[in-house]
Amino acid sequence: MASIQILEINKLKVKFIIEGVSEVFANSLRRAMISMVPTLAVDFVDIYMNSGLMYDEVLAHRIGLIPLKTDLEKYNLKEKCTCSGEGCPSCQVSLRLNVEGPKTVYSGDLISDDPDTIPAFDNIPIVKLKEGQQLMLEATARLGFGTEHSKYQAVCGCGYKIIPEITIEDSCNNCGKCVEECPRDVFSSNNGTIEVTDIYSCSLCYLCVKVCEENAIQIDENTNRFLFSFEVDGSMTPLKVIKVALNQLKERFAEFTEKMEKLSVE
Amino acid sequence: MVVAQGRGDRSPTGEAMFPVRCFTCGKVIGQYWEEYQQRIREEPPGKVLDDLEIERYCCRRMFLTHKEVFGELVD
Repeated sequence: MASIQILEINKLKVKFIIEGVSEVFANSLRRAMISMVPTLAVDFVDIYMNSGLMYDEVLAHRIGLIPLKTDLEKYNLKEKCTCSGEGCPSCQVSLRLNVEGPKTVYSGDLISDDPDTIPAFDNIPIVKLKEGQQLMLEATARLGFGTEHSKYQAVCGCGYKIIPEITIEDSCNNCGKCVEECPRDVFSSNNGTIEVTDIYSCSLCYLCVKVCEENAIQIDENTNRFLFSFEVDGSMTPLKVIKVALNQLKERFAEFTEKMEKLSVE
Repeated sequence: MVVAQGRGDRSPTGEAMFPVRCFTCGKVIGQYWEEYQQRIREEPPGKVLDDLEIERYCCRRMFLTHKEVFGELVD
């Protein structure tokens, strides 16, 4: 049975252990979190007035990169929306920006049509305006996937590593060379006895095995335990990302199974 | 009308604002810039970055190597 144990969690970051699954599954989950979780991001900007120093396209690019709080129950993908891709309140959000210098324009200055869909952080500097410079624009955000552009990617620094099983056999003469050699300080010496104290840090470099003259250290990589860690861009909570990714995987496999069954009937 | 896709124009004025996201990993870092700038006047930058929980060296170099020159030519 698969189990999840959360080690660390806050609004933007999570670290957890997933146990009892194959590496193939762990990698699917990682890939699903990166490319199958849709988020809202600005992808179309109407600029009415920009007398500032920044070019329109740079400005549009910066606005596009700002993460927006995303409620996936509220919005449809534009391609799958009932408006057939024309753009309606259930597949896109409009954000307005109307400011005049001298001022530093922040992401919090964007005024959204939907009070729940606001920039995840309100203090990201977008541009600096000087005296008399003006900015008037309307940005349109829609849902998209990380495969299209990284601004739609909900996670960053998403990865996992194998948690190995390190056994120290009785032939160990407590020389302490492994404690010295290990770059991650996995081992420690407790009253002269060598112990594995920080298994999560192990990077499977096998330096301890190489340095051990008694060949007393055994490393087992096939434990089916993985240490996942990732950060989110603020568009949704880390746990929501995991849930959405798992649901996406489930849906795709259900679709695949359905097609397979049809094949066998014919 | 401009579609906010692709990499934008790499103009000297455009790139001189602090980037919204880390070039490498995509972490949103723009919101930390002003606090970072304030705090490095009195504290070592490495410590400030640790406090802000900016762990990876890709994000850290974004802060350490940025020089704010946006609009300086105009003044």
